[in-house]
Amino acid sequence: MGAGVVSRPSGEGVAAPARGRRARRRSPLTGGSTPERLRRVGALLVLGCVVAAVVAAVSGYDRSEAVLESDTRIAALASDAAGLYQSLADADATATTGYVSGRRESPEGRARYDGDVRRAAERLVHAASLLPEGHPATVPVTTLTTNLPVYAGLMETARTYNRSGLPLGQSYLTQASKLMQQTMLPAAAELRALETAELAEAYRKGSALPLAVLLLGLGLLAAVVDLGNGERSRTNRLLNPGLVVGGIAVLAALVWWGLATVMTGSALGEASRHTDAVSALDDARTAVLKARSNESLVLVARGGGSGDRAFAGLTEPVMGPDGGGGLLGAAEASGADVRAVRSATRSWVQAHQEVRALDDSGRFQEAVESVIGVDPSTSGGRFAALDDALARAIAVERDGISAAVARARDAQSLLAVAPPALFLLAGLAIALGVAQRAGEYR
Amino acid sequence: MSRRGGVDVRRPAVYLGLAGLLALGTTLVPTSSAAAPPPPVVAAPAPAAPAPDCDQVVDSLRPQGPLPEPGAMPPGTTMATIQQRGRLIAGVDQTKYLVGYRNPLTGQLEGTDIDIVHRIAQAIFGDPDRVQFIVYDIADRVKAVEGNEVDLVVNNFSVTCARQRSVEFSAPYQLAQQRLLVPKGSGIREVEDLAGGTVCTSTGSTTERELEALPVDMEVVTEIGIPDCVIRMQQGAVEAVSSDDIILAGLAAQDPQTEVVGRVLATAGYGVGMSKQAPDLVRFVNGVLEQGRDDGSLEESFRRWLGPQLDPAPPPEPRYRD
Repeated sequence: MGAGVVSRPSGEGVAAPARGRRARRRSPLTGGSTPERLRRVGALLVLGCVVAAVVAAVSGYDRSEAVLESDTRIAALASDAAGLYQSLADADATATTGYVSGRRESPEGRARYDGDVRRAAERLVHAASLLPEGHPATVPVTTLTTNLPVYAGLMETARTYNRSGLPLGQSYLTQASKLMQQTMLPAAAELRALETAELAEAYRKGSALPLAVLLLGLGLLAAVVDLGNGERSRTNRLLNPGLVVGGIAVLAALVWWGLATVMTGSALGEASRHTDAVSALDDARTAVLKARSNESLVLVARGGGSGDRAFAGLTEPVMGPDGGGGLLGAAEASGADVRAVRSATRSWVQAHQEVRALDDSGRFQEAVESVIGVDPSTSGGRFAALDDALARAIAVERDGISAAVARARDAQSLLAVAPPALFLLAGLAIALGVAQRAGEYR
Repeated sequence: MSRRGGVDVRRPAVYLGLAGLLALGTTLVPTSSAAAPPPPVVAAPAPAAPAPDCDQVVDSLRPQGPLPEPGAMPPGTTMATIQQRGRLIAGVDQTKYLVGYRNPLTGQLEGTDIDIVHRIAQAIFGDPDRVQFIVYDIADRVKAVEGNEVDLVVNNFSVTCARQRSVEFSAPYQLAQQRLLVPKGSGIREVEDLAGGTVCTSTGSTTERELEALPVDMEVVTEIGIPDCVIRMQQGAVEAVSSDDIILAGLAAQDPQTEVVGRVLATAGYGVGMSKQAPDLVRFVNGVLEQGRDDGSLEESFRRWLGPQLDPAPPPEPRYRD
């Protein structure tokens, strides 16, 4: 059995030494004796296995990091950014509404404003601690951090003047509100946009097709199969067990990657849908908060009906022109349950229209009563219900994100370890198999 | 070179090499998504060009006979339309302390100008509170009258001939003198002391043009309202605020660390601004103001609000063009 095997290649090697030298010069891959060539192809395959192992380890680590980051740092930043915007917008709306009442600021209103400012400061500290140096988001965070004490200072001056019964307080209130609307809220919006984009990028990274690993693995598999097949037909023997084990290990690594990719992809896809829903709901909450500020400001400014035009401009994107689309429609398309939010929006907009009708017909005081009211028939009460409904819907979607990202983490928990180990195992098996076969020529 | 029976090194090498190259390629192709678009740049609105000057202020329209009984306006008149509507719509300010301001303790509008609005409502309805107040920025007062958004404007509205092109004024009910408000101890006594400095007044006011016409090398900045100028002065951004003594008195009263100084830079008469299409309302308002002048209640209102701050001049004698 063995003699036939040895004689053919060695005869060939003896028969054409000149041609072999020429061929070696032309291509170092084709020259040499059979065991030499076997060792060379074996070394090549082992090298391929090691490279594949390294690439798999690096990209597995990258993806796990991306998923981990999207679960921890970036998600926390995105949620900070959204929470920051809410707190700031709510502080401004609360302060303005408190002023429209024309009496002593209510303890509830004061507590709500203080809580908003405190939460905004906490969010800023937290966000700043998560930002690596030179991150583009440090710009808006710096803007917000430097302006928050200025805003609070203007508001306190406004309060002091108001308590003394002096109208300079209103001018301070207006200046504070302008700072909030024109500088701080745009910075908070920028921060949110940056973090949402970063989160989307992390999701994309975590679930992208692992082309490098798949290509290397497939090439390796093809090479192993080719060699094993060639050896079997050349020697008419059974498959070399080392090559078989190596091929199976490579295939296993590939399947591991494939499954992890598919499962991570589906989990992150779900996280991404929830994120879209949260984004749309955050936008809706921002829009209604601004509209609420506007409702109060129009009454504070006594600007009459013309100042109210902004209200429709702010609320229409929430429900869409036909009442069934808009931001809530987008959130619904991403799987959120927005029925409660939608009906709360409808009933608040209705209450607002009653406020406008009162003010426009000269019943200013009744309009004010409705805006600062708390019971469910007033604009104030209905706005509070709407804000609650939005907060609940956002909380549900945020839980959805956490659960989906946790599944993505599970799906690739061993990705940085197991496939590289399989590739190394393949390399070892191939090395052993080839060495054993080459040894047969001695 | 056919290696029918030999070990083929080339094919596995090609497979691996190709895979390696492609894999390398995937890591080199940039995959990050496009950067977010830069935030839109908000352009500041260009300041409106000042209206060209003209020479002569014309007198107002004379009242026609005695005032009709409150609640019984003659049919067909502008007053009858207002009476039918059930409320007078007045353009006012709410940040000028003691003149036209919102009392933060009550939420109600108060001051000398607000008193005049209530006086006119009393004459039409027999009820001083049948009023809808709409607040306008100084720069928007003419537009409010021209666009018939209000029946009348009572808001330190100086009678000027430029404004008379689009607004019919009542006879002036109050005289104002343009002066300076400065921090106490600043050393600024006259407008000349502001050379090289910055002075603030409200956008679209007559004061703005008076200041720019002065032969003093100072920067004139404007804010939407005079109180916004005072905030800037409190924050150290401007050295002085210039406006009418009546308005400055209310501001000095709110900040005891400021004082009104300097000679009179200009004088103005405040009138009630109304539509040129409503001469009957102008005559009616002049009648109402005359009544207040005659029974002393107009001066009494000035004294009640402004007395502690300055010695208010009595309402000027009206002149009519008939």
